[in-house]
Amino acid sequence: MTPITFDEAAFELLPKTTEPMQRMRKQAFEEFRALPIPSQETEEWRYTDLSDFELSFEPHVPNVVRTTSGQDLDGLGVVFCDLDRAAESHADLVERHLQTLVPTDRTKFTALHGAFRTGGTFLFIPRDVRVKLPLQTLTYLEADGAAAFPHTLLIADEGADVTFIDRFASPDIARALSDAIVEIVVGDGAHVRYVSIQEWGSGVTHLGIQRARVGRDAEFRSLAIGFGASLARAEAETVLAGAGGFSEMLGVFFADGTQHFDHRSVQDHVAPNCSSDLLYKGALRDASRAVYSGWVHVRPGAQKTDAMQTSRNIVLSEHAKADAIPNLEIEANDVRCGHAASVGPVDEEAVFYLESRGIPRAEAERLFVTGFFQEVLDRVRLDEVRRNAELAIQEELAEPSTAGVR
Amino acid sequence: MAVSQEEHLRELSKGYRFDWKDQSNSVFEPKRGLSEAVVEEISSRKSEPDWMRKRRLKALKHFEQRPMPWWGADLSGIDFENIYYFIRSTEKQAQNWEDLPEDIRGTWDKLGIPEAEKKYLGGVSAQYESEVVYHKIKKELDDIGVLFTDMDSALRDYPDLVKEHFGTLIPANDNKFAALNTAVWSGGSFIYVPPGVHVDIPLQAYFRINAENMGQFERTLIIADEGSYVHYVEGCSAPIYTSDSLHSAVVEIKAMKGARVRYTTIQNWSTNVYNLVTKRAAAYEDAVMEWVDGNIGSKVTMKYPSIYLLGKGARGEVLSVAFAGKGMHTDAGGKAIHAAPYTTSVITSKSVSKDGGRTGYRGLVRVEPDAHHARSNVRCDALILDEESRSDTYPYIEVEDETAALGHEATVSKVGEDQLFYLMSRGLSEVEATAMIVNGFIEPITRELPMEYAVELNRLIELQMEGSVG
Repeated sequence: MTPITFDEAAFELLPKTTEPMQRMRKQAFEEFRALPIPSQETEEWRYTDLSDFELSFEPHVPNVVRTTSGQDLDGLGVVFCDLDRAAESHADLVERHLQTLVPTDRTKFTALHGAFRTGGTFLFIPRDVRVKLPLQTLTYLEADGAAAFPHTLLIADEGADVTFIDRFASPDIARALSDAIVEIVVGDGAHVRYVSIQEWGSGVTHLGIQRARVGRDAEFRSLAIGFGASLARAEAETVLAGAGGFSEMLGVFFADGTQHFDHRSVQDHVAPNCSSDLLYKGALRDASRAVYSGWVHVRPGAQKTDAMQTSRNIVLSEHAKADAIPNLEIEANDVRCGHAASVGPVDEEAVFYLESRGIPRAEAERLFVTGFFQEVLDRVRLDEVRRNAELAIQEELAEPSTAGVR
Repeated sequence: MAVSQEEHLRELSKGYRFDWKDQSNSVFEPKRGLSEAVVEEISSRKSEPDWMRKRRLKALKHFEQRPMPWWGADLSGIDFENIYYFIRSTEKQAQNWEDLPEDIRGTWDKLGIPEAEKKYLGGVSAQYESEVVYHKIKKELDDIGVLFTDMDSALRDYPDLVKEHFGTLIPANDNKFAALNTAVWSGGSFIYVPPGVHVDIPLQAYFRINAENMGQFERTLIIADEGSYVHYVEGCSAPIYTSDSLHSAVVEIKAMKGARVRYTTIQNWSTNVYNLVTKRAAAYEDAVMEWVDGNIGSKVTMKYPSIYLLGKGARGEVLSVAFAGKGMHTDAGGKAIHAAPYTTSVITSKSVSKDGGRTGYRGLVRVEPDAHHARSNVRCDALILDEESRSDTYPYIEVEDETAALGHEATVSKVGEDQLFYLMSRGLSEVEATAMIVNGFIEPITRELPMEYAVELNRLIELQMEGSVG
């Protein structure tokens, strides 16, 4: 197959879908052609350089596996299927919600996604329905030079309750693009737990945006685990749109080699009496680089907001670099908002304590880093996800270094 | 503060107490707008050396080429063509207050500068519009070689020192407003403290704008030689006009090996002044640089005092307090650049916004590669007193060395109901109770000020609290 450059010809070759979807696609394609590749001159892209990014990839549909933990979803009225199929079977819901939380004209890459996406996951939980066991989508990519456009549209109706895991994986490949969007609507009183596990192999450029809208008295808990990709830019945003809403956003990452992570978060308090709590913890080794920038917005009238934002980074090697920019924009007065950020090495005193008890230095450092992550992992309620993350951290720590681990 | 309830309430009703205007005092007809001709005229009226004239003209080019900052406060209201870039108020700098024209002298009396000079200052520089109209340093300091003069005189009297250091920390093209200052600078202070000399009493400069649409562009250079100490204090004010003025200063400080410099600002411009200032200090081996930055007034302030920690063991501290009332946007903060091993920095910011005012902390802590064992801590707290007001925090932390330990913490809250209730149950009005809580909130800053300034700052806060309902 010849590489495509996302031109008119490639666009015309896309499989046909419903008329309204076709229109959305067409509009996104126009936007894609009009928008520039984001520039480092802008604050949003200051730390990630895509100026030489070549938009030329093989057309490729990733393997997608959906698992239901053996539950009878049809009986509950739950819809869990391919997004293109849902555009036909549940046209109403899809057209009402698709690309409303993350509009296609946000960046050149969201427009590209809107124009060239095929497939994706649609999940709808009807009113007051509780899905007991987690549902999962695995998006697997193995073709070199492929571009994938994973999309998850999750709609939890009033009072619904669900846990969903989005897993992205691939072997190490020469070059691939993952241009991913996750849109989550948490209805009034609903409870949604969303976990993303990004395990792309090296060679993958991952540009992901996750945005959730949390309704009245609803609860949204998200966990982002990021170990993979050569360059991963992951944006996670929660809009607290109804009074009494709650959002928890946890992040765990470990960067090695020359990995570049650009993590961005938004806690947007539009409605009063909401609380949000964010905790991102990451470790860096070798010549990796991680940037965390986060925003807490408290809009006028969002009184009684309680928002916390914490970013902790542990730097394990001489050539690793970490930046943290936790921002607050507060336009209401009756609020409690705070943030904390830190960047530092392993605590020498703690390591000394362990060494003095006869534990070799390398092991002492490993224990320290394990403990560092435990604060987040202790808050993860899904045993399997937590165990996997713990194992992945141990694997990262056991790997030989590529550049002077101390 | 021993102020009776009655006096206290009287003070509260006065509002901005620096709002008086003198008759026009220009010795020649001032012109509005900026051009090469204006820059040439400033240079020629000062009979400057040619290198300075050239540097000004080059800076003007930088200014014209640079776009307005896209970030920070809204600067679209500045009309560069409507500003007076140079106004000379007196023919000759005075050494005695009596030698000044009567109304200018009246202004300084009302500001209490001559009285303060007698009581607790080692030297005073008083700038009125574009130039320093009064200057004096205590004889004892003069005798031990401390140089404290206005920048124009320094260029004339110590040309080599000025040429060696001028614009080395803040080059003309550093940013648009540093370029503007370099093109049209006038006045400001020059200080040189010889090795090992401790100047025990503060040196003060006061900057007064009198004319409408005035642009004040003072230029300050402080060099504290090895092992010396100096504390420099600046204050400022202006009458209230319906159209805007511009204050755009550049301050460069060098704290040589083992020196300590403390620079205190009590900024109280009227609410029609754009205050866009670039302040930067270099701290060499084991030197200590401290910025104590109080921002109470102005329409818009954008100011982020910076410290470049260039020598092993250097220490930097920024204490910033910002207040924004109606129509005000104060975007302040601090920067610490760690470029040498074992350097430490602490940035503490306290801000209060009310009546629709907006305060922001914007800061940067950066650790360069090989600046090993750097330590930094940043602490920002903001109080928002009513629904219309706003507070922002934009801290940047950039670390390129794995042994660095950096922390940042911030909180935003309102005045605690329980604290208010406690004070009001003891008979204080809500306004008084709020003022007391706010004073307590900024206490970590005021305790670092010389007594007289701490009192002044507390009083300003109380004045600003007028009509506040917490």
